[in-house]
Amino acid sequence: MKTEKKFDLPQGTLDLLILRVVALGPIHGYAIAQRIQQMSRDALQVQQGSLYPALHRLEYKKFLAADWRPTETGREAKFYRLTAKGKSQLQSETESWARLTEIVELILRGPQGETP
Amino acid sequence: MSWWRRLFASRRMERDLDSELRFHMEQQVADNVRAGMTKQEAGRAARLEFGGLQQIKEDCRESRGTVLVTSVVQDLRIALRQLRKSPGFAITAVLTLALGIGANTSIFTLVHSILLRSLPVADPSHLYRIGDRNDCCYYDSFQNEDGDFDLFSYDLYLHFRQSATEFEQLAAVEAGGASFSVRSGSVPAKPLRSEYVSGNYFNTLGIGAYAGRPLHDDDDKPGAAPVVVLSYQAWQTDFAGDPGIVGSTIYVETHPFTVAGIAPPGFFGDRVIAFPPDLWMPLAGEPLIEGANSSLLQKDTDWLYALGRVRPRTNTVALQAKLSAALRQWMHTRPAYTEHGRAALIPRQHVVLAPAGGGIQRLQQHAQTGTGLRMLMLLSMVVLLTACANIANLLLARGAARRADVAMRMALGAGHGRIMRQILTESVLLSLIGGAAGVMVAYLGSRMILALAFPLSRNMPIHAGPSMPVLGFALAVSLITGVVFGAAPAWTSSRAQPAEALRGINVSSRDRSSLPQQGLIVFQVAMSVVLLAGALLMARSLYKLEHQDLGISTRNRFAVQFDPRGAGYTVDRLPALYRQIEDRFSALPFMIDMSLARYLPLTGGEWGACVIPQGHPAPGPNDKCFADWDRVSNGFLSSIGVPIVRGRGFTTQDTSSSPLVVLVNQAFARRFFPNQNPIGLRFGTDSPQYSTAFEIVGVFADFKMTDPRKEAGPLFLRPLTQQFAGFKEPDLDAGEKSFMYMRSMIFNFSQPQQNAEALIRNTLADIDPNLTVSRFGSYDSEVAWNFNQDRLMARLTGVFGMLSLVLASIGLYGVTSYLVARRTGEIGIRMALGATRSRVVSMVLRTTLLQVLIGLALGIPAALLAGHLMSRLLYQVSEYDPLALLGTTIVLGICATVAGFIPARRAASIDPMKALRSE
Repeated sequence: MKTEKKFDLPQGTLDLLILRVVALGPIHGYAIAQRIQQMSRDALQVQQGSLYPALHRLEYKKFLAADWRPTETGREAKFYRLTAKGKSQLQSETESWARLTEIVELILRGPQGETP
Repeated sequence: MSWWRRLFASRRMERDLDSELRFHMEQQVADNVRAGMTKQEAGRAARLEFGGLQQIKEDCRESRGTVLVTSVVQDLRIALRQLRKSPGFAITAVLTLALGIGANTSIFTLVHSILLRSLPVADPSHLYRIGDRNDCCYYDSFQNEDGDFDLFSYDLYLHFRQSATEFEQLAAVEAGGASFSVRSGSVPAKPLRSEYVSGNYFNTLGIGAYAGRPLHDDDDKPGAAPVVVLSYQAWQTDFAGDPGIVGSTIYVETHPFTVAGIAPPGFFGDRVIAFPPDLWMPLAGEPLIEGANSSLLQKDTDWLYALGRVRPRTNTVALQAKLSAALRQWMHTRPAYTEHGRAALIPRQHVVLAPAGGGIQRLQQHAQTGTGLRMLMLLSMVVLLTACANIANLLLARGAARRADVAMRMALGAGHGRIMRQILTESVLLSLIGGAAGVMVAYLGSRMILALAFPLSRNMPIHAGPSMPVLGFALAVSLITGVVFGAAPAWTSSRAQPAEALRGINVSSRDRSSLPQQGLIVFQVAMSVVLLAGALLMARSLYKLEHQDLGISTRNRFAVQFDPRGAGYTVDRLPALYRQIEDRFSALPFMIDMSLARYLPLTGGEWGACVIPQGHPAPGPNDKCFADWDRVSNGFLSSIGVPIVRGRGFTTQDTSSSPLVVLVNQAFARRFFPNQNPIGLRFGTDSPQYSTAFEIVGVFADFKMTDPRKEAGPLFLRPLTQQFAGFKEPDLDAGEKSFMYMRSMIFNFSQPQQNAEALIRNTLADIDPNLTVSRFGSYDSEVAWNFNQDRLMARLTGVFGMLSLVLASIGLYGVTSYLVARRTGEIGIRMALGATRSRVVSMVLRTTLLQVLIGLALGIPAALLAGHLMSRLLYQVSEYDPLALLGTTIVLGICATVAGFIPARRAASIDPMKALRSE
């Protein structure tokens, strides 16, 4: 079952994922959740309880801007897009994420024999 | 967007948030349907997945940082709505709080202006006074048993100035002050309060002038042109604010003085007193007015307070030691402190350096005013606490009624903290409204208290109007009050179990949930015991004071103070004036007798001398030789209703050329001539060489001359006509002459008089229009003035006691009613099972009386402690007065029984059928 494989995202990672998804173009909250799920090949399922507070937090920090637009079904939804500030935030966060994983990897694969 | 604009945009944002989340939900449902669920299943699955909608919304709001502000605004709005919904509760609570906070604030107004306020001078923290007692007004030897010195002669003051360079400035100011006749232009003379000060007085305090200039050192040199500075208030009231007065000449006791300037409006002198000075004169002006009797020229006459500004970073402990050493060194040079073995007392003489930023604290340190005010502050706090307990009880009852409401909100996702905060918001809002109303109560209250406390005051330096500190105090008290009475209800409500409450459990038998209420009642009863016992103690003390035998009669008598010296009379013209006064006034209708005296009993003046009986040596350092004395006309004793118990009174045979005679009181005879018949014996004053000066011709009954709280002390009277010409020392001779001036008259009518004041003033003006009356009053009211503070204290503690009794009774009634209402079902069952009405009544009453008993058990020890703290205020009443405690217990018992009986009867009239059906 997919649901059994769900795991908690490290603190702050959700923000990064949201920024990454929104960078692809204006998108509403439900679609963000869907997209993350798809892109993770169903390994990640974002809870609404954390998604919306995160969206509002990012909007409050001016990494995201939002406006109301009609969806393809004609219904109005709140679409988020990346601001200039968000773009540079995404960049720097991506870089530091890459460095972090690199470092973590380095340590995990460290001198053989000491790991069981 | 600023948080402020966001706050106003919050409505739109709420809408957006709502539609955004709803959109998400709809999409989810649509996807679920597409995946093959039925519409119903799809909706259920979506809702399950979504979780608590309100919780997510709250988290979204929180991530925007507006939550605190919006929630406070929300809480306020909810609180206002709640209060509007139950106006009865709101009004009761606000009124109770207004009384409680108002009582506190009005007492604080007085405490602040009398005990806490700094002088309106520059940098008051550097002001120090040499001396910490309140001795007044003239001394000429050691002052206190423990050697504490606070009154200084001019010579000693100069010695201090020279020896203590730590003072930037050291000023001297007259301890007493007088009422002088002041004439300006052709207007009749006015009696104004005066104070002699050193030339650097204004400079020391850092006070400038409102107009003209303050006094300078140059004004205070022998031979300097005589000048005065008027107080702003006197300038306004007595000189009509005439700006031309500066530089003009006014006549003080007939001597011309130039008005140098006017002091600033807020400056009332160096101390808070009921009669602040109207004019300040340099010390150098004193010999001008007092002539040979001047105190300034006497090296041993102590009549000045010393007040100085120390240099920054002065070690005041070292300075105090230095000043004490200077005092002792000076004393060794003065015979008055070294002769007759008195030098033995010098080593213990010292001064205490006291902070004087609040002024020379006469009123503050006045035992009764200071203790009284502190006690009132404490008592009003207790009243407020009882009020708080009542409101906490109301809130608890309301909280119980609102349990369902609270439970619903908690079920919907409100946190404990949020619920508590909201209930606290409501109680703080309530207490703030109560506080605002309380400020109004306080204004009226302090005005009333001031009017009662200082009815005769002129230019009173204390104002009832709320100042910033007073408003701040009221605000702080309101906030604290709100938290105090809101805390318990908020806590109990927030612990509500939503499930239980929603099930509708609102009936119970004897359960624990009423324990906080009962605890509050016990507390209230205990506090009431303290207040009631205090009130009864004060009332009994006042009764004893007022109904004691003062030894004088005051009925149908009028007391007048006047100033023949200010009208220009010289000593040689006085006998003719006195004869004229006696003749004219005695001829008035209904006049039984009248007399002239230097001082009248219990009207606030006294003079004393060291008595030396014939054949006795000069008194040693520890001999008590002091006796009050007074010069009076022949009719004096009969005009105040005092009998002669031995010998004779003064007669017309006692003239200026006949042997010098005196009358003494019984206390005098006991002190100086124990176990002897004093008639025919002789004594003198000041020195053994004069010990044959006066012959005792009569003994009169003791009466209280100065302090109604103390036993009558030794007193002797000398006749108006006789002057002792034998004094060799010029200062004693000058004093004897100056004592020929009478300052008081008393008139004894055979029946009540309506127009006595006009009659007396006109008669006096007929004799000489320059004779001004500086004070007029019925002798009754002049004597009653002595008990003024006691009366005020008794009334206020009485009011506080009543207030807390009423509050406790209401609380008891309320809680009992509440319990009865909650136990309706239980009582119904009991009655259905055969309990009689009287058993139900006694069951309810038992609970009530148990609370009262516990309250008494806690309150009586507290009352004993309070009694101990106020023992200084009590007159001939023991601080552990059993009557006061018994009275308190009875009064409380009656009120509690009534308060408990009404709901108990209601409980007994419960219809068992109805009660059971309602479950």
